[in-house]
Amino acid sequence: MMLQILLALSAALFALGLLAALTRRNAIMILIGIELMLGAGNLNFISFWKFSAHPENLTGIMFAIFSIAIAAAEAAVGLAIIIQVHRRLHSVDVDQANQLKG
Amino acid sequence: MNLENLPIASKQALLDALQWCSAKVGLTLPEWLLGLVSALVIIVTILATFLILFALMSVFERKLLARAQNRYGPNRVGPCGLFQPVADGIKMLTKEDLVPRSADKVVHYLAPIAMVAPALMLPVILPYGRDMVAVDLPVGILFFFALGAGSELAVFMAGWASNNKYSILGAMRAIAQMISYELPLVTSAVVVALVAGTLSPAVIVEAQRGYSYGFVPHWFVCTPWGFAACLLFYLGALAESNRCPFDLPEGESEIIAGHLTEYSGFKYAIFFMAEYVGMFAINGLLVTLFLGGYQAPFPFLEWIPSWCWFFAKLWAVALSMVWVRTTLPRFRIDQMMQFAWKFMLPMSFVALLAAAAWHYAGRGPAAWGISALVILIPYLLLGHFCFTRQHSATNRRYYYSE
Amino acid sequence: MHALFQKIASLPWEQLPQWLFLIPGLLMLLAAAAAVCLRNLVHSALCLVASFIALGVLFMALGAEFVGFVQLLVYVGAVAMLILFAILLTPAGEVLASNNPLRNFRLSSALHAAAGAAVAFLVLVGLLAAIAFSPRAASAVLPAQAAAAPVALIGENLLTHTLLPLLGIAVLLTAALVGAALIAKEDSQS
Repeated sequence: MMLQILLALSAALFALGLLAALTRRNAIMILIGIELMLGAGNLNFISFWKFSAHPENLTGIMFAIFSIAIAAAEAAVGLAIIIQVHRRLHSVDVDQANQLKG
Repeated sequence: MNLENLPIASKQALLDALQWCSAKVGLTLPEWLLGLVSALVIIVTILATFLILFALMSVFERKLLARAQNRYGPNRVGPCGLFQPVADGIKMLTKEDLVPRSADKVVHYLAPIAMVAPALMLPVILPYGRDMVAVDLPVGILFFFALGAGSELAVFMAGWASNNKYSILGAMRAIAQMISYELPLVTSAVVVALVAGTLSPAVIVEAQRGYSYGFVPHWFVCTPWGFAACLLFYLGALAESNRCPFDLPEGESEIIAGHLTEYSGFKYAIFFMAEYVGMFAINGLLVTLFLGGYQAPFPFLEWIPSWCWFFAKLWAVALSMVWVRTTLPRFRIDQMMQFAWKFMLPMSFVALLAAAAWHYAGRGPAAWGISALVILIPYLLLGHFCFTRQHSATNRRYYYSE
Repeated sequence: MHALFQKIASLPWEQLPQWLFLIPGLLMLLAAAAAVCLRNLVHSALCLVASFIALGVLFMALGAEFVGFVQLLVYVGAVAMLILFAILLTPAGEVLASNNPLRNFRLSSALHAAAGAAVAFLVLVGLLAAIAFSPRAASAVLPAQAAAAPVALIGENLLTHTLLPLLGIAVLLTAALVGAALIAKEDSQS
């Protein structure tokens, strides 16, 4: 039952991240939603590692560490893009970034 | 009675007294309650020690600064001014707590708490003496730097919530400085973790045990890579604690008080305390990683208890930071950034290479020469090609802030 | 009264430590919900930080201390800082919204928001159903030996089993560093 509760927590966090990514118009809020979804994935990895038959393999931990590193890299690049878009359009509203002409 | 075991013996005596009292009253204390009381005694002792160190430091720093500037420091309150912290505390507590009307009340209130909570948790992993670690974490060094990240957040909260141009500017400068200097700091700690093979401070101190040739200690600062890493860690510690010469975020003559502009009274006292406790904690980590922790420097001085050595070394490093403050002027923000990214970061990687070279060359006499060369050659090259300027009147290069 | 005390004392208190992870778990959900729903960006980012801290504590409670501290160091120390700096560097221009919420009501954006919320709700229901009806999740038991992840073992794994991903992520982080600096650079001509 503990694993089910942990997975339910992770599912709820994922749904909250998805809500932020789909509902908010500010690009930074969308990025926050993406980070929440990645965090939920990490929680899933660790939960399954804890309940696996061979926890000495450390597979879940390795996945989680690499996922954290990738999330950091992606946040850096995403925020750089947001800053550059703000310079052009003077707004981070994704509804206003709807033209291919730069 | 053994002086070495004095802290542990006194804690045990306190627990025995508690059990004797409860036995007199007639009830037996459960096991978990004794464990809880033991943990509380340790926590209260560590907190009290660091707060007393903070109080002493605040008065000693002012007196040392004063003496260096040919004047007396605070000398009216108590003998030689030693009760000055009490007077300061009373002043801070009774000052009016002003919050600007347009400030964000919740974040403004939470910023000092977010600053002091990680700072007070930092000293818990340091080994104060033989077998005297409060919490022996196997990932102690990582814990330390993870909590350091919390204080950067508090600086941002303080600056933003004050709704004041100077506060935001000061906060952004402070965070830029802290993030830039965190990299060489962590890399220098990684150098030590590499050689000792562990992230636990207690094991790192034990790895520095022993003496060569009868009187040279095995401290990591006595090795070429350790000396370089210690210097880099020391400079990083100065920057992380926002101390001179890296105290632009609090530069009084330039941006009022930076992110602390809109704080008064007890909240300011909490920021002040968090800064000093953080400084002592990072000095404690420097002592643990490089200066041998609680080990005595010479074999004939081993009769002095280990916890005395730890606090003596801690006090010495803290006073050296005050000495640096009396001597050096403040860095400009672009000089600070260049120093971190163009000098300290490459040199910390060079120290890492030197430590690896020392290890793989067998840790013998040849290894010492190789690792010293690995450090000296990049240092001289970097200094010659990047930081010397042609001082001629015609082709001077001026730096303006954009 | 005495019966109530007896009932409370007879609860399985020895099993409490393993359920303590629920506290950071619920705090994490609360903070994430606040992060998603708050209008003020900086408040939302600070609630996100609280959520990350709670997630890190949850990792530590599950026995993965190294991952917990790495989460605190990387997410709270780096990613949250990046987000806060980006919020500071991209202030909203003229505030087009007035204080009256009814005046800003546009049917298209309200429909989009409703559709997004519906999708998120469906995903949540689907995931919860999958968890509830999955035989593997229902029958999972803790292994006989408590899952432990000593740091030395993690380091050894990183350098032997997952060496190729480690080198790959080194390249990725370097590319991200250079790329982000290049993308966010100001054009020197304009």
